[in-house]
Amino acid sequence: MSVLRPMDKLPDLNKATVLLVSTEDALLQQLADSMLKEDCASELRVHLTKSLPLPSSVARPRIDLIVFVITLHSSFQNVEESLHHVDSNFFLGKVCFLVTGAGRDSHCSVHRNTVAKLAHTYRSPLLFCDLEVESFRATVAQRLVRMLQICAGHVPGVSGLNLLSLMRSPSPPPEEL
Amino acid sequence: MELRPERAEEARGGERISLLLRLRAQMKQQLLEYKSMIDANEEKTPEQDMQEKQMETKIESLENEIEDVKTAFDIKNLVLSRMQLSSALKNNLENTATESSELMDDLNDILKLNKLIMTSQQESRELEKKLLDVRKKRLQLKQASGRKLLEIQTEKNKQKEELDSVENSDKIKTMQHNLQMEMQTTTVVQHVFQNLILGSKVNWAEDPALKETVLQLEKIVTMI
Repeated sequence: MSVLRPMDKLPDLNKATVLLVSTEDALLQQLADSMLKEDCASELRVHLTKSLPLPSSVARPRIDLIVFVITLHSSFQNVEESLHHVDSNFFLGKVCFLVTGAGRDSHCSVHRNTVAKLAHTYRSPLLFCDLEVESFRATVAQRLVRMLQICAGHVPGVSGLNLLSLMRSPSPPPEEL
Repeated sequence: MELRPERAEEARGGERISLLLRLRAQMKQQLLEYKSMIDANEEKTPEQDMQEKQMETKIESLENEIEDVKTAFDIKNLVLSRMQLSSALKNNLENTATESSELMDDLNDILKLNKLIMTSQQESRELEKKLLDVRKKRLQLKQASGRKLLEIQTEKNKQKEELDSVENSDKIKTMQHNLQMEMQTTTVVQHVFQNLILGSKVNWAEDPALKETVLQLEKIVTMI
């Protein structure tokens, strides 16, 4: 069970589960709190982890959305390694990349273009947010909750793949100089 | 005190119904997703080795198809719900006669606005037609004037050619040559007569006829 598959379990009634992956625990906790505060008709479950693969000892529900939270001043390798443990069927709209920490330009060790290229290679949407500020965090939490509802199948007429085609960026990122 | 628990129960019943409806919609959507996954896994991957660009364009065209089908479906759904709404409204009106005057007012307003929309659309269509006619006429006139100018040009060129040809023809040349010869002989004859009269030492000033002849001989013959 080292690879996460999207559809290997049956969904729970009226429940949606999101998996937040990041090396920074505090940020994840804050983001999880903001998401749970959101007004939502379905029950939300937020799982936090530092990296994949997840320990297979725990019984967990079907995961509807994976959000990789990337901070621009930490290393990138963790994310890349975790991505190997995700089944390719997940990338049909159930994976999202969230970039934070772009405000502190002096600390950036990962370039913005690298992340954009990563998102383009995996054909997944890329969101930018400054998770330290309360209001921005609330906004991005709202967006994520909505995406989660769609990916869990709680919104009739829209599926994760539809959302992906609507959120597609128009052109690939520019080549590095 | 007795009404409140009833209301609370009603509210709870209403909530339960809405929850059930929501669950139904969710299960439908999730079932659709699982079905489409099964269908997708059954499809065989293409044998040829398509390039990445080709695959991307193919994906884009497929996505466009999906979007078109989706919008058509949504429009049809809207039309269907509109029809359902109007029939329910009609039934409601039949049952409640003309008590609901607000509804009648709204319907009358809707009818008036629709008529207005139709007449203004008709007017705009007629104006567009007129504009189109005027433009067509203008184009025709332009074409006719272009043709006329072309004709004038060709006529002018023809005339010029004719003039040039006429000037350079041989007949004219021989006629000119003959003319010159005749002029030379006439001058010679004039000089001969002049010298005859002067050589005869006759006083030509006295006789008016002779005077006239001499003066006439003075006229030098030049080219006409």
